[in-house]
Amino acid sequence: MRNKNDIVDKVKECLIKAASTFSDDKKEVYRQAIERETVKTAKWVLETTLNNAMVAEQNRSPLCDDSGIPHLFLEIGPNQSVDGELFSFIKQGVAEGLRELPGRPMAIKGDDTQRIDQSGGLDFDPGALLSAPILLKPTEEDVLRLHMLMHGGGPEIRAKTFRIFHRHKVSVVTEEIIEWAVEASGKLGCSPVTLAIGIGRSHFEATSLMLEAMAFGNYTIQNEIEKEITNRLNKSNIGPLGLGGDTTALGTFLKVGPQRASGVRIVSMRPCCGIEPRKASVEL
Amino acid sequence: MIQKENSKSVITPIRACCLESISIGDFIYISGFIYTGRDSVLPKIVSLIEDGKLEEYGINLEGAVIFHTAVSPAGVGPTSSNKYDIESTIPALSAAGVKLHLGKGELSKETIEALAKYNSIYAVIPPVTALLNRITLSKKIVAFPELGMEAFHLLEVQNYPAIIAIAHGKSIYDHEEQK
Repeated sequence: MRNKNDIVDKVKECLIKAASTFSDDKKEVYRQAIERETVKTAKWVLETTLNNAMVAEQNRSPLCDDSGIPHLFLEIGPNQSVDGELFSFIKQGVAEGLRELPGRPMAIKGDDTQRIDQSGGLDFDPGALLSAPILLKPTEEDVLRLHMLMHGGGPEIRAKTFRIFHRHKVSVVTEEIIEWAVEASGKLGCSPVTLAIGIGRSHFEATSLMLEAMAFGNYTIQNEIEKEITNRLNKSNIGPLGLGGDTTALGTFLKVGPQRASGVRIVSMRPCCGIEPRKASVEL
Repeated sequence: MIQKENSKSVITPIRACCLESISIGDFIYISGFIYTGRDSVLPKIVSLIEDGKLEEYGINLEGAVIFHTAVSPAGVGPTSSNKYDIESTIPALSAAGVKLHLGKGELSKETIEALAKYNSIYAVIPPVTALLNRITLSKKIVAFPELGMEAFHLLEVQNYPAIIAIAHGKSIYDHEEQK
């Protein structure tokens, strides 16, 4: 028997934490970047961004006025179950979290055409903002764990999901990702980025893996491919806010899924902005 | 807020002569009243200019600052100024008297030239909503309230921090030029 109030409250708190808090590893990677940065403008941007995060955490207020679209990822252990009731509690928790934060009221009203051209107006209730479809994944750990990610609009403009012909070399894939990332980071305007990358067999799978990479990524645990991509991006001199500097990327979160017997890999890359990934998790 | 040494204060409305000493890379702190607008409302403001109806709304763009942001209970923070609906309005707004466009992201060569032509500049502001909330003194809707957070707002601000990104035909994003 589920406790509705308990689940709704946990989801609400998880959303508020995701939208208002830097994780410990993110704070640390910022401190390291500030220490290393040699360009005064860049150093000031990094210091101010970290200072903003401290204030937002203290106030439980949004890190950024684009408080983001909630993206949920649910891990389901072997003895756990999910049903429509659970999803309705989660939905209510998201709405209550958005109202309490408060999130930016940016739900578009109207029918299909009105939602495309934005002619139906906005819903002024922050809680009217629906989450993206929930991603489900079995886990060996016997838990029901919800990950909350808040996706801002800027990175969505610059994200890309496309095919890469790998020619049986990892370097071919990483070189193309770096090419995408340099272009995206330069135009983003709110670097330093964290590159979230999923590599799969279809556009859906690659994007799902990208989301999973964001959920589990940690700046203190970086494999060789992740380090290589980050280091190469930092040589671009794009810097914080694109104004030049040593810190274009804080890290790379890569998730490689099952692959197809084929010469093609589908890659989804999201250049998360300087305050992203905004994430938190909770056991329900 | 971490204050920078050797920064310049910019008080609104901005007089044209004040821009002469400003260069790309300068730190500025903006105080006074500033307008806000983004994708939905800025093309409507350009239409008001074309129709000669700005005064009907009590809008005076002479020496004005326009911050590319929504204004909502979540706060304020820069949106991408290079989105079509925003960047395409910069020439007309500059011609109408706007002296400082505040946002984020690289702008095109054509926009850089338009800013120079109308003696206007572009500055970027970090997306630090929690800090900006502390130095936003007041806010009110000036026009198009039906757009909600995207309505044309007037903010009173104190020491908004920004970095000059484009001025006098030069762009800080042209990293080769900076070397």
